[in-house]
Amino acid sequence: MKRIPKALLAVSLTVAAFMAGCSNEPAEPEKQPAQTEQTSSGEKVIVVGLQAEPTSFDAHQISDYNTSRAAMEIYDQLVQFKDESTELEPDLAEKWDVSDNGLEYTFYLKKDVKFHDGTPLNAEAVKFSIDRQIDPKHPYHETGTFAYADFTFGMVDHVEVVDPYTVKIVLKEPFAPFLSNLAMHAASIVSPEAVKKYGKDFSKHPVGTGPFKFESWTPGVEAVLVKNPDYFKGAPKVDKLIFKPITEDQTRLTELESGSIDMIVNIPPDDLERLRADANLQVLEQPGMHVWWTAFNTQKKPFNDVKVRQAINYAINKESIVNNILHGTGELANSPVPPTVWGHNATLKNYEYNPEKAKQLLAEAGYPNGFEVTYWVPESGSGMQQPATMAAAIQADLAAVGIKVNIQTLEWGTYLDKVFQPKEKMDMDMHQMSWVGDNGDPDNFLYAMFSSEQWPTAGFNDSFYKNETVDKLLKEARTTLDKQKRTQMYEEAQQIIMEEAPWIVLDHEKQIVAANQKIKNFKLHPTGVFRFANVDVE
Amino acid sequence: MVSYVGKRLLALIPVLIGVTILVFSIMHLSPGDPAQIILGPKATAESVKQLRHELGLDLPVYQQYFRWITNVLAGDWGRSIQMKMEVLPLVLDRFGATFILTLASALISIVGGVLFGIIAAAKKYSFWDRFLMFLVLVGFCMPVFWFGILLQIQFGLKLDWLPISGMHSPGKTGFVDMLPYLILPAVSLSAGTGAVIARMTRSSMLEVLGQDYIRTARAKGMKEQKVIYKHALKNAFIPILTVIGMQVGFLLAGAVLVEMVFSWPGIGTLMVKGIQARDFPLVQGIILFVATSYVVINLLVDLIYAYLDPRIKYK
Repeated sequence: MKRIPKALLAVSLTVAAFMAGCSNEPAEPEKQPAQTEQTSSGEKVIVVGLQAEPTSFDAHQISDYNTSRAAMEIYDQLVQFKDESTELEPDLAEKWDVSDNGLEYTFYLKKDVKFHDGTPLNAEAVKFSIDRQIDPKHPYHETGTFAYADFTFGMVDHVEVVDPYTVKIVLKEPFAPFLSNLAMHAASIVSPEAVKKYGKDFSKHPVGTGPFKFESWTPGVEAVLVKNPDYFKGAPKVDKLIFKPITEDQTRLTELESGSIDMIVNIPPDDLERLRADANLQVLEQPGMHVWWTAFNTQKKPFNDVKVRQAINYAINKESIVNNILHGTGELANSPVPPTVWGHNATLKNYEYNPEKAKQLLAEAGYPNGFEVTYWVPESGSGMQQPATMAAAIQADLAAVGIKVNIQTLEWGTYLDKVFQPKEKMDMDMHQMSWVGDNGDPDNFLYAMFSSEQWPTAGFNDSFYKNETVDKLLKEARTTLDKQKRTQMYEEAQQIIMEEAPWIVLDHEKQIVAANQKIKNFKLHPTGVFRFANVDVE
Repeated sequence: MVSYVGKRLLALIPVLIGVTILVFSIMHLSPGDPAQIILGPKATAESVKQLRHELGLDLPVYQQYFRWITNVLAGDWGRSIQMKMEVLPLVLDRFGATFILTLASALISIVGGVLFGIIAAAKKYSFWDRFLMFLVLVGFCMPVFWFGILLQIQFGLKLDWLPISGMHSPGKTGFVDMLPYLILPAVSLSAGTGAVIARMTRSSMLEVLGQDYIRTARAKGMKEQKVIYKHALKNAFIPILTVIGMQVGFLLAGAVLVEMVFSWPGIGTLMVKGIQARDFPLVQGIILFVATSYVVINLLVDLIYAYLDPRIKYK
């Protein structure tokens, strides 16, 4: 026994040395002491609880909500979405012209704007920000993987610097939603000098022109942004934003209720009522740019018969799913296009719950005794809400009209692999999917999911839907610049799609944020990005 | 002794080669493509193909393995696909947090477990024995994440004594700032392990206390305390140590759940995220690291045997 204390001593010394060495130093530790002092001196700080960890602070590499919520206040774009809508307004560009053939977009930049590193915002920086993503030969293309480059700039032919503050973007073919793409995260203008300086580590040292500057990021712990006092639209009122990843729903709630964090997203439906009743909290909600559906394989029996698809739609009590499973965290859909997106056809009605009619349609289609199908369901997944419970409700409703549904549950990564197979390899009957809009343009919902050019693996038409009129309308609408004409085309397309029922269109998930009452003037935005420039703390 | 340690360390090499091949195969054979997951369901086939090429995923698996393992040996563990950061610093940083948590829980469970076990054995069949063993049973049966949530609600929300989640106050670092954050996760992680150690200590102590030399010691008129702590405990400790060694591995596994519940920035949360995103370089790096430390811990436990029991000799 006598030797044990020596061993213990050795172990504890090693441990002490180890602990001293691994105290999770943030990306820029040299700034730590000053910041700690400030925090205690009554500055305005907002602590946000995120559902998952941000993965990169490089706007061009963002591909998920949590990251864009934490990172987007660092950046600006040429144009931006107005508050609470997806209409556009000038941001870094003062004004712009579009040539008559719809191919050339010329932007006139504001002249007094500087990046956080002091370098000026100019036409070169705009060209750099786009070329870096789309030109494989660009010297800084290797500094990242750009998930959204193709979506945002796939139609761009080249970018020209006209003069220091004028930049021209030339497209390969007219593309009406292009201007909306320029308000997205991948269209953020980054400081070329910072990319050159940090290379691949730009994602840890981001520099933009936005209302908040990056201060530090300790993965798994927190990301800290501080206000940009020189912001070209005026300094924000809040001094500091802290984003903390808290994966567990229950922990995030407890943290909010205890007051140690100020704002959370993704609230479990079951807890919503309790939060609404709490006088210290405010619950904000808004239908997001989201749609949840179950797709039928329209190229395969029995779903190649429109009557079968309609019958299933009549058989399902959609309202009950929205009220009893989602507890009102979603809004019943009447079209694949959410009401927050312009071009939404408000006159349409979703199929009402009518099992008798469903049975009658099934009999007419030659299936008086129903049939058996396999239903693919993910365990969880971005935008999938409560996939298993919702699938069980659909299974029960379909059993009542004689359709036997075998649910097959898969992990999200595996699921995506299985769902996006080309038609010849596809053995799917029906499966769940959801979509979150990117640029607020109806093209982003309709062309992507119902054009026969978009069958997997080329695109997202996961029901292998094909209708010539719809194809023609959607193709024409994306090359027409007149918004009113486009609206008409989209409304007509939605009507045909709802009649032909390639999907069970269920709901549009609401964005729900619970925040402390002391946070003032916070508004949700349909894109799901958080805006803090005008937010105050009491 | 030295040659024994040397041999054990050499044996580490085939173990680690085996582990890397296993992990590499599991990750690459499981369905799900990192490029598809990064780009999301909206990506076109072309951009997925392009990204697969950039990440080197279009090479045959064995070539990818050799490329990876040669880089690892040269000190380049690759870059996380999802986090876009170098793997080795990320893993080291996160492992530090897991190490602190595991160590704190190991201390709590060893001290608590051994103490409970001794008291229960010394006062067998008394009220204290039954009471402690009941607590131990509860501790063993309770799922760690649920116990964690209960602790959060009671001590974080209702009593407001301790922070609920995270590792530091916003914007702060350092050991002192971390301590209050460490208590709840360490306690919830130690419950199960502590329970096993307590049961083992009790039964091992009971066995030793029944032996002749203990009766002799008592017959000599030696104080009961001395009998228990000096004579009985040392001999009872060998099986307890074996359990402790095994339980440390268990703690590392349990840490994943506790880290999720308490948002503790350790290796567990990182690994779960990495697996979901099929972040091959990251997951491979973590497993390689954890496997190495697990083997080293086992070696240390074996060496401590020799300290405790002079009859055990390593050659």
